[in-house]
Amino acid sequence: MERPAPVAVPLGQAEVFQALQRLHMTVFSQSVSPCGKFLAAGNNYGQIAIFSLSAALSSEAKEESKKPVVTFQAHDGPVYSMVSTDRHLLSAGDGEVKAWLWAEILKKGCKEMWRRQPPYRTSLEVPEINALLLVPKENSLILAGGDCQLHTMDLETGTFTRALRGHTDYIHCLALRERSPEVLSGGEDGAVRLWDLRTAKEAQTIEVYKHEECSRPHNGRWIGCLATDSDWMVCGGGPALTLWHLRSSTPTTIFPIRAPQKHVTFYQDLILSAGQGHCINHWQLSGELKAQVPGSSPGLLSLSLNQQPAAPECKVLTAAGNSCRVDVFTNLGYRAFSLSF
Amino acid sequence: MSSESSKKRKPKVIRSDGAPAEGKRNRSDTEQEGKYYSEEAEVDLRDPGRDYELYKYTCQELQRLMAEIQDLKSRGGKDVAIEIEERRIQSCVHFMTLKKLNRLAHIRLKKGRDQTHEAKQKVDAYHLQLQNLLYEVMHLQKEITKCLEFKSKHEEIDLVSLEEFYKEAPPDISKAEVTMGDPHQQTLARLDWELEQRKRLAEKYRECLSNKEKILKEIEVKKEYLSSLQPRLNSIMQASLPVQEYLFMPFDQAHKQYETARHLPPPLYVLFVQATAYGQACAHMKSSSQPPRQDKTLSVAIEGSVDEAKALFKPPDDSQDDESDSDAEEEQTTKRRRPTLGVQLDDKRKEMLKRHPLSVMVDLKCKDESVLHLTFYYLMNLNILTVKAKVTTATELITPISAGDLLSPDSVLSCLYPGDHGKKTPNPANQYQFDKVGILTLRDYVLDLGHPYLWVQKLGGLHFPKEQPQHTVIADHSLSASHMETTMKLLKTRVQSRLALHKQFASLEHGIVPVTSDCQYLFPAKVVSRLVKWVTVAHEDYMELHFTKDIVEAGLAGDTNLYYMALIERGTAKLQAAVVLNPGYSSIPPIFQLCLNWKGEKTNSNDDNIRAMESEVNVCYKELCGPRPGHQLLTNQLQRLCVLLDVYLETESHDDSVEGPKEFPQEKMCLRLFRGPSRMKPFKYNHPQGFFSHR
Repeated sequence: MERPAPVAVPLGQAEVFQALQRLHMTVFSQSVSPCGKFLAAGNNYGQIAIFSLSAALSSEAKEESKKPVVTFQAHDGPVYSMVSTDRHLLSAGDGEVKAWLWAEILKKGCKEMWRRQPPYRTSLEVPEINALLLVPKENSLILAGGDCQLHTMDLETGTFTRALRGHTDYIHCLALRERSPEVLSGGEDGAVRLWDLRTAKEAQTIEVYKHEECSRPHNGRWIGCLATDSDWMVCGGGPALTLWHLRSSTPTTIFPIRAPQKHVTFYQDLILSAGQGHCINHWQLSGELKAQVPGSSPGLLSLSLNQQPAAPECKVLTAAGNSCRVDVFTNLGYRAFSLSF
Repeated sequence: MSSESSKKRKPKVIRSDGAPAEGKRNRSDTEQEGKYYSEEAEVDLRDPGRDYELYKYTCQELQRLMAEIQDLKSRGGKDVAIEIEERRIQSCVHFMTLKKLNRLAHIRLKKGRDQTHEAKQKVDAYHLQLQNLLYEVMHLQKEITKCLEFKSKHEEIDLVSLEEFYKEAPPDISKAEVTMGDPHQQTLARLDWELEQRKRLAEKYRECLSNKEKILKEIEVKKEYLSSLQPRLNSIMQASLPVQEYLFMPFDQAHKQYETARHLPPPLYVLFVQATAYGQACAHMKSSSQPPRQDKTLSVAIEGSVDEAKALFKPPDDSQDDESDSDAEEEQTTKRRRPTLGVQLDDKRKEMLKRHPLSVMVDLKCKDESVLHLTFYYLMNLNILTVKAKVTTATELITPISAGDLLSPDSVLSCLYPGDHGKKTPNPANQYQFDKVGILTLRDYVLDLGHPYLWVQKLGGLHFPKEQPQHTVIADHSLSASHMETTMKLLKTRVQSRLALHKQFASLEHGIVPVTSDCQYLFPAKVVSRLVKWVTVAHEDYMELHFTKDIVEAGLAGDTNLYYMALIERGTAKLQAAVVLNPGYSSIPPIFQLCLNWKGEKTNSNDDNIRAMESEVNVCYKELCGPRPGHQLLTNQLQRLCVLLDVYLETESHDDSVEGPKEFPQEKMCLRLFRGPSRMKPFKYNHPQGFFSHR
């Protein structure tokens, strides 16, 4: 009569595992709700946590209000990218894009609305989706990632309308030029490609690593981040963070920072960038470092500026990266507090 | 002068006459009164209307006469003067009349005033009377309400209900014909009934008391009988001893042990009984399935001198005095008579930490013939249990240097339950006792006394509440019983995992990662990186390492853990791994922190892939546990680290600007080199196909 001996599990095991999980958490993506009062953050375990910015920023904020309002398992793999439409939260990571209704999420009912998978050619490994980009003019979503293509999905019908091919390695990031319907993409192959959405053709290619001023071979050639503002484009990654004039495709300013940058964005007359290292860098367009604001994570992966006009009191900058914390900057100058998974 | 006017004047004249003749007046007082008051009386008789007519007429006459006089005067003439005179006399008469009328009017006025005044006084008197009456009414009403509000004491008494009262009360109390209509009488009757009932109950109570007394007496008698039975039974036992010996029946041996057990202090007794019971239960379970074996997995014995224990039960004064006397005598021969203050305090401490002379030995056998010897002691004055542990193995072990602490009695049982490191006294009351004799913590004495783990207290049935330090603590069988099985199992697992670690360490120190055959599938066949060093480090040294900050901050580096340092090398790359080994291994995994020295120093704060490697061994440890109970975890984690280092080095992108071939050519099969925003390397090994992919 051999019966399996029940293994007595001491209580500490769960706590230790949880602590380790938190310690090794990476927050890849963030998105602000359409009402501007909530922030969604996705981590490497495929969880999405919803934080209430308005509660955390209110004068009677307690420690609990810096914890998520709700956390749910969204994907099996990491949640690399998230965007919000005026009703949905779209999240992507492990080859699929899923939609969640904001109204439902805030009621803590976390059921996915739909999920779509772009038509991939490879079958051995499901390519990841690294970037999502909304094109409001044509109500579509552009997905890019592991399979080196930009897939356009019509949000109305949910069908994939076209695939833009050209990158030779996987794509890290996307950016939309506001005036003309053009999309920029930057990838592991070191190229920034400019796509014309009307013709679905590649309009321009900038191979950043080939420019001697900004190439840094020991870091690799990959382009990790990209942002654009009218005729200007700033990109960084393996090569140095550089401001480009698009029409002439020439680098105008090279920002003197050694660490590879993972996120960059234009803000008023500044450029904000973050990457390896715990600081958010504020640059003048001339290349001067205006400020370095320390955050709490050893490395940052995403910045999010909450500029929803609906919630002016929640106008903050949030930064997330290699920790379970999302830093909140109420003004750009210093870190006010951290939201934590 | 006309005759009428003279008539009218008459009374006046008389009056004026009378004024000078005083004597006359006194004499004819009454007569005069009648005359003088006639004018006032006259007022009542006269009609004011006619007086008014008279007044008007007189005035007219006067006017006419005045006009005639004037007329005559203006005409002039001789006989005018006479006529004027005549007219003047007439006027005078008229004036007299006017005067009279004036007087009358005054009198009337005065009369009117008097009347009004009188009437007013009357009204005032009535008003006063009215107010008095009102006040009286009010007072009476108040009295009435007071009466109405009066509460009698009987209302507070809970009376039986009406129906019940009429049903149960005898008719001489209830008097239905009287009380039915009269609620007052009814209440009185009910109260009577209540009194009657209470009297009866009091009577009953007294009866019960006497009954109880009687029963108590009976019990006493029976007890006496029982106690007289004991010596008789003893003598029978004594007589049966030779028979038992002759028949090889071990009753007596067990009995003797039980006899000794009687002298155990309550907590040790509980522990002894429960451990024995559990041991027997285990033996029964085994014997039902397998042929009975000689060795039991759990054996319990009592050690120590019974006489000393018995001595404790005697009145303590005599024996202790004797001892102290003899001690003092001994001291006298060597030292001064009075010990110094320090020595006194020392003695006090010794007295406080005194163990009970008896202790319970529990031997726990594991499957591989290794034995865990546990000796439980009871500290009498502190009311806590302590334990000393020793592990013996079937075959002699070669002790690796790094395994020094693994089986040491000091740490082998540390943190059997989370947070239970057995260095603080679990009895909150002890702290006060310590303060008295100047003991800071029990920590300094545990090596000598044994560890007061919480589970030991629970096995002994001692439960110390955290909130109430002065709560009386009683040894409780159920507490001990509920913990016995889990604790024994935990103890076994602990010993086995420690022995397993012991074995692993022996190989690790020689740079061999002893992957067992049933874990081989977790790793590729060819692993180039090698473990070159495995040493223990002190807790303080671990805390000072620059790449272990996160673990320390997360509170995962307590001083009860064991700390090690591993060094894995491949070519010029050196990977340092700082390891935290929780005493709860292997259910709580060892935690690794990495620092790679290759083209600069890389740690989790400046290289995402190092961070990923850490999370591969720390978070995804469950797939590395191997077959149950997972004692191979540490070895597998180290081997995994070697594989991860291989992948890390081989997939490092080649720097085009540097001349020469790559130091580490890519040998591993990978689907892709990088993935995702943080450019992860393919660390996941897929077993049968043998390629690496991303997690």
